[in-house]
Amino acid sequence: MKPHPLLIAVIALGAHAQSHDHGPARPAPGGQAAAPSAAPSAGRPGAVREWTRQPLLLAGRGARGERTAAMLRPQGIAAATVTVFAAEGPESRLKVEYPVTADGAKIEAAAPKTGNYHWVTAREESDVEVRTASTAWYFGNPGPSPKDLLKRPRHELEIVPDPLPREHASYRESEKWRFLVRWNGQALAGQTIQLETEFGSRGSFLTDAAGFATVLFPRDFKPSEAPADGGHGPRRAAFVLSTLKEAEGRRYLTAFNYNYGQDGDRDKSLGWGAAFGLVGMIAAAPLLRRRKTGDNTHA
Amino acid sequence: MLKSIFPTLARFRLAVQILMLFVTVYGSVIVGNYMADKISSALPALSCAYDQANGGYCVLVPTQHIIHHRIGEAMVRAQQLTTQMVLPLLMTFVSFFAFFFVLGKMFCGWVCPLGTLQELVGKIGRRFGIGLRRVESGDLGDVKRVRPVKWLLLLGLVFVLPLLTGLGVTPHTLGNPYCDICPSRIATTLLTGNTEQLALRLGDNVSFTLGAIANLLIGFTVIGALAVRQPFCRICPLLALNSVFQRLSPMRLSKPAMHESCAKCGICTEACPMDIPEIARQSGRKAYHEDCTLCGRCAEYCPQDGIIKLKWGPFALFSSSRDYYKDKVKRELPDGTVKPLKFVRNAAKPAAGTADA
Repeated sequence: MKPHPLLIAVIALGAHAQSHDHGPARPAPGGQAAAPSAAPSAGRPGAVREWTRQPLLLAGRGARGERTAAMLRPQGIAAATVTVFAAEGPESRLKVEYPVTADGAKIEAAAPKTGNYHWVTAREESDVEVRTASTAWYFGNPGPSPKDLLKRPRHELEIVPDPLPREHASYRESEKWRFLVRWNGQALAGQTIQLETEFGSRGSFLTDAAGFATVLFPRDFKPSEAPADGGHGPRRAAFVLSTLKEAEGRRYLTAFNYNYGQDGDRDKSLGWGAAFGLVGMIAAAPLLRRRKTGDNTHA
Repeated sequence: MLKSIFPTLARFRLAVQILMLFVTVYGSVIVGNYMADKISSALPALSCAYDQANGGYCVLVPTQHIIHHRIGEAMVRAQQLTTQMVLPLLMTFVSFFAFFFVLGKMFCGWVCPLGTLQELVGKIGRRFGIGLRRVESGDLGDVKRVRPVKWLLLLGLVFVLPLLTGLGVTPHTLGNPYCDICPSRIATTLLTGNTEQLALRLGDNVSFTLGAIANLLIGFTVIGALAVRQPFCRICPLLALNSVFQRLSPMRLSKPAMHESCAKCGICTEACPMDIPEIARQSGRKAYHEDCTLCGRCAEYCPQDGIIKLKWGPFALFSSSRDYYKDKVKRELPDGTVKPLKFVRNAAKPAAGTADA
């Protein structure tokens, strides 16, 4: 069947009509998930600035693109080591401590072929305060589900995603996600957690009776001025969730930081999409005309 | 008991299709949220990875991804191709084949969500009396003219363009071009209430154009399927990929010999949703054609005992029979025609004077 001239014209017109705006590429299911980054990715590459006083674990330079290693830099926490927990692998690799150097800590997957999410934490402790930073790092190779990894308590006070975004997906602005707050491994009800984003948004959320807080990610991405930082996927920015508890004369502060992406509908046109779908339907409409000859004779 | 629930092979297949439509579109509620929890990331069916609630991924996703990110980029870095670079692709095909070995091309005819949706739309068309159009000489044209398209899509969009992108020849937005034009991506995400994939990316001409093609295809498929059976399956690159391996699965269509009436009959071709003439005209290997989706309709509508069979290895799972055929055509004609629904005005007008009573 020859392509209908009208279809070609509409494609050409549509492609030409939207050439003024340079948005990011569509998130691809095959793309590597981004990790929390020290360098804001939303049109301001290179500039590292402190947007929160909470303890963070941020991706250092040169970390992206490596499949079995990554550089993480603690910020807002004086930690000598970074600890990586894996869901699967040799016994000696299920929990590994990496020293923090001037560039950060170079962490590795539990095994060369074991990817997927790893849980990463850093801890600073004194007589009066315990500060913990945590994040998840996704290594590009396939690996076990992080369900069990997230269930195991690592510190006294923790904020744990429930669930983490599916691999190759992400948290996104305007979406609601659940986070569990645990105290000594038990769900902590009525606890306030604070949200801060790289763009300056602030919010607080209260855990329910089961210890879950439902966090609404603010719609705070600015219109894009530059294309995404290479590769697939939407623009991303960092956020941190933190909570504080005092017990037995000590102050416990824990934080979970990760990235969230811009709303998938940004820089997209549902109208154009529907229009092309409609053109496809119109192109198929002549098929609905009845055949004049050759009707079925097996009735 | 089972026979009263599934009186025909077609009814049984429809039940399997509906179940698999649920699994491939909403299956995460059963298998779990994470990719590692999925049934597989190399299913021989168009189970879309853009659908955040599905139960498994289509094999074309990792194929494009690995060719783009592993092989193409590695070739640029290392200037050579090593086993380690192609190992992930081999593992993907091993996973794919582990499933394919069991069901063969039944993944097309029994599992694929887009195939099921097209068939359901076709049933609506038949039910509402929309005339069936055939891809054959004398109607829409010789089916052989359409057949190369699926191979071109497989070669060009699943293998060549991702490789060229990995090599840096083509832009990054051409890294997974088949997914970008796949109508199953639109259909299955819409079924989860997500319109994001229907919307077109602005600001990038390549993404916009690929997305527009996908939308044209799904629009064409939705309306076209009312009159033409399985319009997209005919050009689907996954059908081409599955047909590469179809002889390696014990699941197959078997027609070892021609019946004396085969040359004049042709009901099996009429029943075939892919309009495959070879099933009527050929026997042996040629009867199990590359376009076959193992739906089994040819066997259901063959009026001769034991001529066409669905077999798994030496076991005949279904065999044609005259009695079955006679019963089957009472319910539905070979081309899928059933008693159409007709909307008529109430013929019995109220008697004079009663309307105001």
